[in-house]
Amino acid sequence: MIAYYPLRSCNTFNNFLGVRALALLLGFAIFGAGIVRAEDSGKSGRIAVRAGKVITMDKDDVVVNNAVILIKDGKIVRVGEASKVKIPQGYRVIDALDRWVVPGLIDCHNHTAGSLMDLNDMVYLTNPGLRTLETVMPESENIKQGRAGGVTSVLLIPGSGTNMSGFGTVTKMGGDTVDDMVMRSPGSLKIAQAGNPEWYWFGVGRSYMNYNTRQTLLKAKAYHESWEAFESGDSAVEPDYNPIFAGFRGLFSREFPVSVHTQIYQVLMTTVDMLTKKLKLRTVLDHCTFDAFKLAPLVTKTDAYTVNGPRQFWFDRSQRKMNGNAARWWQGGVHKLGINTDAPVIPQEELPYQAAMACWYGWLPYPALRGLTRIPSEALMVDKRIGSIEVGKDADLGIWTGDPIDPRSSCELTIIDGRIVYDADVRRRF
Amino acid sequence: MTAMKRIMWCGVIAFMLNGSAVSASPPAKLALQGGRIIPVVGEDIAVGTILIENGKIAAIGKDVEIPYDAMVVDVSGQVLFPGMVDVHSSRGLDIRNEPLPVTPFLDVYDAFDPSKLYFEDALRDGVTSIHVIVANNCVIGGLSRVVHPIGITPDEMTQDVHTSLKLSIAPKRRSDRMVQMATLRETFLELSDYLEDLAETKYEESLEDKDEKIDVGPDEAIERGRKLIRSDDYDDKHANLVKLTRGKLGAFVYCETGGDVSRAIKLAKDNGFFDRMTFVLGAACYKAAAEIKASKRPVVLGPELIYRERNAITGEMTETFVPEVFADARIKFSLLPNPNGSLGERYLNYQAARCVRNGVTRKKALSSITINPAKALGMKDRIGSLEVGKIANIVVFSGDPLDFNSWVDQVYVNGIRAYSRETDVRLNRLFGDETSETQSEDDKDKIDEEVPAKDAVEKAKSAAPVGDKIDAETKGTDESKQGS
Repeated sequence: MIAYYPLRSCNTFNNFLGVRALALLLGFAIFGAGIVRAEDSGKSGRIAVRAGKVITMDKDDVVVNNAVILIKDGKIVRVGEASKVKIPQGYRVIDALDRWVVPGLIDCHNHTAGSLMDLNDMVYLTNPGLRTLETVMPESENIKQGRAGGVTSVLLIPGSGTNMSGFGTVTKMGGDTVDDMVMRSPGSLKIAQAGNPEWYWFGVGRSYMNYNTRQTLLKAKAYHESWEAFESGDSAVEPDYNPIFAGFRGLFSREFPVSVHTQIYQVLMTTVDMLTKKLKLRTVLDHCTFDAFKLAPLVTKTDAYTVNGPRQFWFDRSQRKMNGNAARWWQGGVHKLGINTDAPVIPQEELPYQAAMACWYGWLPYPALRGLTRIPSEALMVDKRIGSIEVGKDADLGIWTGDPIDPRSSCELTIIDGRIVYDADVRRRF
Repeated sequence: MTAMKRIMWCGVIAFMLNGSAVSASPPAKLALQGGRIIPVVGEDIAVGTILIENGKIAAIGKDVEIPYDAMVVDVSGQVLFPGMVDVHSSRGLDIRNEPLPVTPFLDVYDAFDPSKLYFEDALRDGVTSIHVIVANNCVIGGLSRVVHPIGITPDEMTQDVHTSLKLSIAPKRRSDRMVQMATLRETFLELSDYLEDLAETKYEESLEDKDEKIDVGPDEAIERGRKLIRSDDYDDKHANLVKLTRGKLGAFVYCETGGDVSRAIKLAKDNGFFDRMTFVLGAACYKAAAEIKASKRPVVLGPELIYRERNAITGEMTETFVPEVFADARIKFSLLPNPNGSLGERYLNYQAARCVRNGVTRKKALSSITINPAKALGMKDRIGSLEVGKIANIVVFSGDPLDFNSWVDQVYVNGIRAYSRETDVRLNRLFGDETSETQSEDDKDKIDEEVPAKDAVEKAKSAAPVGDKIDAETKGTDESKQGS
């Protein structure tokens, strides 16, 4: 149960408000959660959350019990023990004294924040000029569903039908317009190293796919370098602007990562070799399933992030043994380890359930929760804004009945940029 | 057999990772003492010693003085044989051929899977060098490389970026011989057009710096331009073909029938790669034995060693054992294993033994799986026999290599013990009773220690690398299954 206490002293006014709230509640029941925003405190609003437990997920892994979080203008302005933080006048108080407050969950492999019709353009095997910014779709049913699972940010990437399907977009799961939602575009370059693209045309093998992907990247790199030379004064010739390769400049200057659909041993090996080591790209290895965990010794030598899922286990038939993928990566020393859903492959709201499975197969709950929050924010290079509950960061929170990794827990309230975007008391989704 | 095959195909075991662990630091000096030595090149030694220093064979003979600091391995009663060479294999690749017909710009490096069971099996079967190259279903395939079967990445495994291209005279699937040859001719014709255009462009570029324009006519411009082309001017679609036509790349050319052989020779001579050509021959090519002999090019036979032909009128079947024809014609050849064979054809030494059964001399049969393929790969100074100065790729057999009751007991690659039958987990599982009996006492302790998965993870966090951990846990699980 979460109750709201408008901090007003006038009793009659309060009663009046109470009646109005009741009327609004009935309205919600009829018209659905879209109306929540009518009642929340808006962008300039001030919210104080009184929490039983705050998992901050900061660098020191601090957990604050009986805490207060102050939110102002969409940012977190104070986090501390209730005894030390006084709630100032004008703050609307959310009481969550028997709840856990955790950073909003982040999924760095997602297809549902945009239209599902525009995932793959199957004409060419590499599509360097495309971007998912064109497909972002605010306030879709998928987004609302995701928020109900405590998910507040995602990397919306194109599908894996081709080797290079375009640039992804880092978006919030709240906002009425595309501009409201988008945190960064390009969010990443999506590459599918192998797997699905093998079905392209009448079939294509890895030697051709890898050659072709590499050639496209080398062309883009040459474009970037020619501009670098011009801008640093090494070259007097201003290169022609090329809309297809322009987006790659941030990739090669490591301002955003490449997110790679890569799964089995040989494919992941090629990803690390080609993209991380030779082209020196900031790499996020997505999926990392089947027997790929055997490459842990290779991955630990690089700065790549490993984001496992949605398959959480692999049965090794030669050994007749079940392997938890995340657990195996962890054992191999890969600690920059996160979890993804590949929504809609696994519904967005089941991101914590993926982590729960990973734990069931031998991973550890705290690193798993970190793998849903701080790790993906670092992987996407947006950790200055999201991924933890710290002063100055975006007020993206989930209020849970318990540990999100525990499948018995439910998300009761989700806040994005200081706005309540999901409230189970108003309309529970599941 | 199929069930066994299925089990064996089912995945990758930690073995590969263990393999790479040993690759870290070989002992500086190692002596294999007291075995029967079959060096292939040179006379057999009834009881002798091989001394390995820094991964190379330093001494070999009856009375080799063993330095005080050499580790000594007793191989008495066993047989030392050169690591065998699989001269043409596409089994390390994701698919045997790309659907595209002409792909000289591709490299097997990009499709190469060190985790394939094939490499593990290669060690188990005593094969230490593998030429990874695309299969025959192509017009022009990409670059190949020679690897040894230990290591977790292609770079670690590579012995030689030997880089041959693959060409096929026999038609690619769903094509025919006329289209096949037309495509080959067209490819080389397009190459010469490309080179002329490039030369002309280079010549014109060279004029830009000069004030006076000299019109020399197109032919002269091309001639002058050719001299201006540098090796990095070629685009990647043509670079390897240029190397091929200048004899800087090998060519493995597949012929299916006798007629294909003369077409291969003509194509190679017309385009400048005859001196670097190796024949990959289907069984029917024995009919062109005289032509092949005259060409003096290396020959790779197989994997089918018997050619069967039926007389259309009488229905009578003629069977020809192909290696015998080549041996009689005094043509040196290399043999290939047949992974699809229902008998022992997937073992190179079995293929060689079949040759002996059909009248080929033992010497020739042994050469066909060791030194001959090494020559075909241009690596005869490094692999293919047990000689001083060569890479220490050595198989320790329990008996004669051509006796099919012999086991591969140990395999040394670059002087590193890469395989040992005693610790072969998969082999122990398949034939395990006598070996696992002795191990079970130790393993029982492990079952008692078995802990819930989460605790195991925490334990593992501090301790073992992935590979070792998997091994230990597997043994535990298996024992508990047998117990229940």
